[in-house]
Amino acid sequence: MARVRLVIARCQVDYAGRVTAHLPMAMRLLLVKADGSVSVHSDDRAYKPLNWMSPPCWVTEEPGTWTVQNKTGEKLVIAIEEMLHDSEHEMGAEPGLVKDGVEAHLQELLAEHIGTLGTGYSLVRREYPTAIGPVDILARDEGGSTVAVEIKRRGEIDGVEQLTRYLELLNRDPLLAPVQGVFAAQQIKPQARTLAEDRGIRCLTLDYDALRGIEPDEFRLF
Amino acid sequence: MKIRVERDGLADAVAWVARSLPARPPVPVLGGILLEADSEQDVLTVSGFDYETSATVNVPATLSASGRTLVSGRLLADITKALPNKPVELAVEGSRVEIVCGTAKFSLPTMPVEDYPQLPNMPDKVGELPGELLGTAVAQVAVAAGKDDTLPMLTGVRVEIAGDKLTLVATDRFRLAMREITWTPAQEAEDTAVLVPARTLAESAKTLGASGATAELALASGDGLVGLSGAGRRSTARLLDAEFPKYRQLLPDDQTTTAIIEVSKLVDAIKRVSLVAERGTQVRLEFSEDGLNLTAGGEEEGSAEEAIAVEFEGEPVTIAFNPTYLLDGLSAVRTDRAHMAFTTANRPALLKPVDEDGQVAGDYLYLLMPVRLPG
Repeated sequence: MARVRLVIARCQVDYAGRVTAHLPMAMRLLLVKADGSVSVHSDDRAYKPLNWMSPPCWVTEEPGTWTVQNKTGEKLVIAIEEMLHDSEHEMGAEPGLVKDGVEAHLQELLAEHIGTLGTGYSLVRREYPTAIGPVDILARDEGGSTVAVEIKRRGEIDGVEQLTRYLELLNRDPLLAPVQGVFAAQQIKPQARTLAEDRGIRCLTLDYDALRGIEPDEFRLF
Repeated sequence: MKIRVERDGLADAVAWVARSLPARPPVPVLGGILLEADSEQDVLTVSGFDYETSATVNVPATLSASGRTLVSGRLLADITKALPNKPVELAVEGSRVEIVCGTAKFSLPTMPVEDYPQLPNMPDKVGELPGELLGTAVAQVAVAAGKDDTLPMLTGVRVEIAGDKLTLVATDRFRLAMREITWTPAQEAEDTAVLVPARTLAESAKTLGASGATAELALASGDGLVGLSGAGRRSTARLLDAEFPKYRQLLPDDQTTTAIIEVSKLVDAIKRVSLVAERGTQVRLEFSEDGLNLTAGGEEEGSAEEAIAVEFEGEPVTIAFNPTYLLDGLSAVRTDRAHMAFTTANRPALLKPVDEDGQVAGDYLYLLMPVRLPG
């Protein structure tokens, strides 16, 4: 299995290709990933590399100089003055980033506390399937009409569009129609709110901590 | 439509109506200002409405031809503000409106007036009071209203009507402000309580307060509508449909420490010491026989300390507050001196105005929750 190589070196980097770029001699972290990609990092925040070459590319190592070249002939030339660290590690399979943990949790919490939507609401199901993907929550209001809820951490225009598509599809189902939309998010952007309200979609700001039942530490009147 | 109107009256009216227009109108016509010239009265009616709030002002005008037209509110407000102080002539020609004032000439496109929504009718009057009094009372209370729409009930001012007593209350869970005033209820007005959006109420009341006219409050609870009028201006807003917290039980009935302080001195001192208190941190108040000692900050960010004389009675107490909330309360009492009452460092403090005769006024209170003391 291919390995990830970590090198800490005092080096100078020149890039020749669509653009030319030069990094003067300094301490850097060079990262050679198993796919052959090379990236040059400095000690500056959790940020993208100073320079890099994406795969497919090949590293030619000569004493004091690494040349990384890709198929279009672009070159990353790293002149190494002093090598301070060089190690290789096997990383194993990446389980993948669990994206939007809060969003999934919000869905779970809102389903548990469906009354947050309004009194008399009942849950139909989470992840209600439609032909274009699952709706976060399908519920019924106190009068028994269907309500589709889209949950976001940050409520932006995209989310409203997504919910609009679901609503259009759900409203074709005679057993569900008319379906009302609720756009629920921890924060809702003013543009998204305007668009949602214009489309007859109700906006609901969710308080994550309150849903989790975490009482804030500060003193309050009630 | 063809009219002639004074520049100041027009600019004020348009500016006031434009203030309540939505920042992002979902339908372009809602960003417009409706201009109506009625041939029966020599007035120009300027209005705006976005389904939530409406604002209408009458401006005296000389009419040559009546009619109605709709133009971009923001643009009209900017133009009227910038016009020279000369009579303004407004004339609709085809799909454009011509504005002539002195040597300045504007031609604006109009929007289809047929697409504009019907303005809500002013609900029934429930009572009246001097505009200035309303302006002050609303400002004193609205300061405590919440701005976070997670809890809609906290973004309103509760208006309670009980005979000739009008009570205004607002709270954001950290502080609560309450003002009671005597007013003249309408004959057939019933006792009721409604929740009015704080921001809209504050805006309308401020204008009425500055005009010095009598303010009239109107309600249609069934339709969820509140109206406020005076000085030729009428505004309506949709009531908040939410339950206001049961607040009377929050008002403390005992106190172990009281102090009478000079508001301006304390305000200045708080502003000074809180310079070292980073945003959202606390200012500590230490009351004792020796007076009041204010401290803020700590070892890392620098610290500040200031002592002021106070009339003190009871048990010594050390209590900490969010400086912004404390300053809000001190500026809301509207008197030179204020009465502060405490029990312990983790129970709410009560702030009340003290009138010129040294009497603690019972018509206003600002209840403020302290913040946790370090350690």
